[in-house]
Amino acid sequence: MIQFKDVTKSFKNVDAVKNVTCEIRDREIFGLLGPNGAGKTTLIMTMATVYRPTRGEVVVDGHLASAEPDWVKSLIGISFQDPKYDRILSAREILEWHAKVTGLDKATREKRIDEVLTKFGLTGEARKRTWTLSGGTKKKIENAKVFVQRPKIAVFDEPTAYLDVPSRLMVWEMIDELRDEGSTVLLATNMMDEADRMSDRVGIMNRGEMVQVGAPASLRGGLRGRDIIEMKLEVPIPELPGEVSKVEEIKEAHFEGDTLKIVLSNGRGLLPHLINVVTAKGGKVLSVSLKEPTLEDVFLHYTGMKLS
Amino acid sequence: MSEGPSKLFIIRVLIERDLRTLVKSPFILINRTIFFLIQLFVFAFLVSKLASSLNFNYFDFYSVGAVISTITSIAFIIGEDLFEEEELGLLDYLLSLPFGHSLFVVGRALGGAVRGLIYVTPMMILVAYLDGYFSPVGVAGSLVVVFVLATGISGLSITLAMLIRNANRFDIVIALAELATVRVSAAIYPLIYMPNVLQPVATYSPVTSAADIVRAIFLPTTYQSGLYETVVLVLFVAVFFGLGSAFLFRKIEGGKFE
Repeated sequence: MIQFKDVTKSFKNVDAVKNVTCEIRDREIFGLLGPNGAGKTTLIMTMATVYRPTRGEVVVDGHLASAEPDWVKSLIGISFQDPKYDRILSAREILEWHAKVTGLDKATREKRIDEVLTKFGLTGEARKRTWTLSGGTKKKIENAKVFVQRPKIAVFDEPTAYLDVPSRLMVWEMIDELRDEGSTVLLATNMMDEADRMSDRVGIMNRGEMVQVGAPASLRGGLRGRDIIEMKLEVPIPELPGEVSKVEEIKEAHFEGDTLKIVLSNGRGLLPHLINVVTAKGGKVLSVSLKEPTLEDVFLHYTGMKLS
Repeated sequence: MSEGPSKLFIIRVLIERDLRTLVKSPFILINRTIFFLIQLFVFAFLVSKLASSLNFNYFDFYSVGAVISTITSIAFIIGEDLFEEEELGLLDYLLSLPFGHSLFVVGRALGGAVRGLIYVTPMMILVAYLDGYFSPVGVAGSLVVVFVLATGISGLSITLAMLIRNANRFDIVIALAELATVRVSAAIYPLIYMPNVLQPVATYSPVTSAADIVRAIFLPTTYQSGLYETVVLVLFVAVFFGLGSAFLFRKIEGGKFE
């Protein structure tokens, strides 16, 4: 189990991470959600003992990270958002070195490197210098480091950025396999579908703070009753959001293109009334849909901002 | 509980990485090899003729100095590598691996020294041959001396890489440092011919010490050295190992923000 106990990490006068307290359980996939600059990477690097917490402490399997940094690091493997390896070297050389420095014996590392390269379809490019490869391939090699290492704590920072759909699915499947084999997975992402699909629980970070933690379904459930009506109009009418917001059960209304998005604070029986309000203002409704809150809405609810 | 790889193993793997990246950058080596050969067979040969009236064999003197200045130059590359790694974010990856910051500095400084040593070994053998020295033990001893010097220079280079944040400033400082360590020393000219203000500095230079020790091995009838030179070299290594480690820590903890 990984415990963050009131962790703050400051750089000069800036708190990159502020008073974060949360637990990541063994063998769970914990999604860390937040926009760029939210503090996700700093939190990860603090857990990995690259940074020392300014205040608070990180405890990994009962061991204080700041007191036993080498031991904690021996449990962790990180796939960084931007590939971090010597681009002058080939994929095989990079994986070989990473596996060696993290303590895998020769037979195991050769077997695993072959397996992972084959899964990613990289056997033909394994001996090319990586700076000649595409962004997606470079990202696969970054992920491959962790899949070869199979650490007890696997950290993936935006693992499917730059990847095409089949490769994304492959990475998700491999992360699932890693967890099934016993790893705890920390998945930092700003892709809601990824967090929703992969995570047992998510932590929402904003401006260095952990604003909410919970299972995706439970977080969405927390917004039950706050359904969203999307009304596509022929022409958007600027005063409509203000007019609609006067209705007591309406939490928020705004236009996204020519679609009026109305967030309800409760109840679904308002639809006929809302259509009346819109048509009374001269709006011509082309279509209406009602949707339940998504993780994106959960994020918006807790941070007051959209992630994407 | 996982024991993890031993410290010695980690140092070996860090050195191996530095060797791999060097092998993949042959232009640096070719460039410095050509420079060495031109300096030896054109510059040293010509100046030796000019200096013959002083009853002084400059070629013998310079040939050792050329190897010393070459390894100094190669050892400085490790700082450039580290600076680039920091700029590319590669340092975050390396520091997330299962070893401490100090071990990282030791491994990188030794990596810089080992690759310098591998590179100058053929040069050292060539110089020993040209100076008429044929003892394998003595040649091995001279390689130990240049290895120790290269370790210290690598530490100095890492320290500078960690101290300076601006890429242009770093390029200028590293070039000046390389120039100063070689030129303000007795590597390529004798102390007595140096300007008076530089002589005291050059006397305490580890590059002077290394050059004097190797000359004393290859040309014992002309040059002598003793404990003093060894102490200077060892102190130099110890100081810059410590500083490199301290500044690396300061850099990581001080100024980065995602």
